[in-house]
Amino acid sequence: MIHFERFKLDNGLTVLFHKDVTTPLAVVNTLYDVGARDESEEKTGFAHLFEHLMFGGSVNIPDFDAPLQRAGGESNAFTSNDITNYYNILPAKNLETALWLESDRMLSLGFTPKSLEVQRNVVIEEFKQRYLNQPYGDVWLKLRPLAYHVHPYKWATIGKVIKHIEDAKMEDVKAFFHKHYNPANAILCIAGNFELEYVKTVVNKWYGEIPRGIKPARILPVEPDQEELREEIIERNVPTDAFYYAFKMSERRNEMYYMADVLSDALGRDKSSRLYISLKKEQKLASEIGAYITGSLDNGLLVISGKLNDGVSFETFDKALWKELKKLEEHPISDKELARLMIKMHTSKEFQDQGLLNRAMNLCQFELLGDANGINEEHEIYKAIKPSHLQETAIHILKPTNCSILKVKATQNAE
Amino acid sequence: MLNRTLSPELKEIDKIDFVKPQIFDISKDVKLFFMKEVPNETARLDLYFDAGTINGDTGIASFVNGMLLSGTDEKTSTQINNEIDELGGFFESGVSNENAVVTMYSLRENVLPILKVMTDAIQNLVFHQHEVEELVNDRRQKFKTSMEKVSFLAQRAFQQRLFSESIYGRVTNESDFDTISTDSLKHFFKKNYLNGLTKVVVVGDLTQDEIDEIIDLIGSWASNTTTEFEKNIKNLKGYSHLVKDGAVQTAIRVGRMLFNKTHEDYNDFLILNTIFGDYFGSRLMSNIREDKGYTYGIGTMVAELHSVGYFIIATEVGKDVKDATLTEIQHEITRIQTELVGEEELNLVKNYLMGQLLKSADGPYSMTDLYMSVEPYGLDLDFYNTSIDSLNNITPERIQELAVKYLNWNDMTVVSAG
Repeated sequence: MIHFERFKLDNGLTVLFHKDVTTPLAVVNTLYDVGARDESEEKTGFAHLFEHLMFGGSVNIPDFDAPLQRAGGESNAFTSNDITNYYNILPAKNLETALWLESDRMLSLGFTPKSLEVQRNVVIEEFKQRYLNQPYGDVWLKLRPLAYHVHPYKWATIGKVIKHIEDAKMEDVKAFFHKHYNPANAILCIAGNFELEYVKTVVNKWYGEIPRGIKPARILPVEPDQEELREEIIERNVPTDAFYYAFKMSERRNEMYYMADVLSDALGRDKSSRLYISLKKEQKLASEIGAYITGSLDNGLLVISGKLNDGVSFETFDKALWKELKKLEEHPISDKELARLMIKMHTSKEFQDQGLLNRAMNLCQFELLGDANGINEEHEIYKAIKPSHLQETAIHILKPTNCSILKVKATQNAE
Repeated sequence: MLNRTLSPELKEIDKIDFVKPQIFDISKDVKLFFMKEVPNETARLDLYFDAGTINGDTGIASFVNGMLLSGTDEKTSTQINNEIDELGGFFESGVSNENAVVTMYSLRENVLPILKVMTDAIQNLVFHQHEVEELVNDRRQKFKTSMEKVSFLAQRAFQQRLFSESIYGRVTNESDFDTISTDSLKHFFKKNYLNGLTKVVVVGDLTQDEIDEIIDLIGSWASNTTTEFEKNIKNLKGYSHLVKDGAVQTAIRVGRMLFNKTHEDYNDFLILNTIFGDYFGSRLMSNIREDKGYTYGIGTMVAELHSVGYFIIATEVGKDVKDATLTEIQHEITRIQTELVGEEELNLVKNYLMGQLLKSADGPYSMTDLYMSVEPYGLDLDFYNTSIDSLNNITPERIQELAVKYLNWNDMTVVSAG
């Protein structure tokens, strides 16, 4: 059980407090309800570029990192298609330093031209390092637009193309800030060995005077139901053929989400999973194979991916894979198999929950879903899943007309 | 009215509690380290073996490590993995130069049942031919993929030139995958695993009886030999470049042989290392990322081996700014050698490092790791009190002295790939 308190400031900021008496550290985690899905199609990569600019100084403080480091702390952030999350870890007795810094950049940024110019370059190098200069690095740049035709999940958080980042202007940066960065669009979590009254006092002190903003309405194009098998083959200078089967699945707030999650575990989480045993160990078609879900807030993807053994054709693999998937539709999984998936899930949850930062981040994410207490309820939702649910989910999801396949063909294997 | 331009008053960290694990003898030389104070249901068990890459021909250590659960006469690898998964266990294994470590994560109530499955699998491992072939095939594919990465190519070339003639300087080649024989794997396994256990670490709220049972289960593997580690390794100085067609970034590695925690300059050098390249506000990050925008990241570290250590600078930069980056690195070296570090910067780094140490000592898992990183050198947790003394007493002059002594460009091995 992860305990927390919740209060709201007059300006709309939601604050969560998680008390942990065992640690001398504090975490200040801020989730902004903005991600790559909120970008315009002509200016992609912006939420992420903006995350970099948040470290370039705020209205009253020229540098974000140095004062935090001077307080013995450190900070980082990440951007996904759904959210942008900033965190600070520091000695508990210097909590106010983190609040001072975080609240000031919520109030307003410095918007220095130098910061924009440099971070554009840094992000372009990040684009190259992670997406262009790695074998199979550009797979998600290709798979997203194959699986999504309308919804903004069709581009990656880094952006569609480098040009969008090169073209970012200061006026875009300011407009983005004013639209998305305000107390009403944020969830703050403070974790550490404090008293609630103290937390209320210091949060009010630093955040109380930030003007109330408007939580921007989110109206996104809805991805229509997929009705055909999609397939794209790309040739790359890589040593091995690779495959990505992406199946549409439900949004985060649906119970089907949890079922798809367990289904992906059954397919390919461990060395005891179905695809690993059948396609790798028994039939020797793949050298690597796994399954996972993207965890998106809107309709997400269940992905099966891996690499072919040398000499195995995509066609042979394809037949064998669909045959394996069909089994899940035809027969419910055994209670024993389900018990195995559940205990693995339980173990990983226990390990995740022991980190203070993880707890703070997850509380914010569940609060975004509607209630931070979801962190304590999730396990029961998983436990209520029956083999018949998984069978229904398999029938619903694991069908060719719901699937987008990306094949990466090694140049040397191409005809 | 709140003055937002001023930092809240900073409070210093006055003390850090270091907690030592309990120590039990498995044999005369092999010990079990036990951290019981875990406030939840999780547990971790690590087995260390004298089975690193220096203990055999290239490739062998890594192959044997990858085969530990590959099957016995009674059970297939799938059966073994299935049994561990049914107990909710996570199994990991890895190899470094000097060690192999097998790690198991689970709920505490499952530690022993999982360990029983694991010890049976390892004790009775047979190296089925089809499992050997499968692993060699998988590893060959992975190796070929790695060889497409400039970071891997640069790191590999760096290792060869840094350790030069020494056994640490050997690297895997594709031909190693053709020459692996099952007999050589079996031989290595018997010598370095079944008679190669060097230590055991348990973190989790287990009972004394359970600890005794763990010792009974793995005690027979205790090593009774001592490995000799090389002490005198010299890096090849100077620059070399590896061409990788089509790369849009160039990977750079710069470094030299150095010392480990047993050296009197270690703690002070670590402060210099942080200022120079080991935190977000470091000299290299401030210049090469935050001023020039040449890279997504650049960092330095001191890596440690049993008897030596080395210093390394690592980055990936745009292909057209490789030379400019090397020039800036040299510029930063000259600057830290010729100009005294300012009080403000030094204070910031001192406070930052105290915060890092506080974090490294937070919670049973971190605390155990902190202890295990001094234990191999015959040091105790008191080492961290000397680190704190070092932070309290460091001066700009001392930083400069160490920079002049250890950071000469002409002493460096410099490698790039791109």
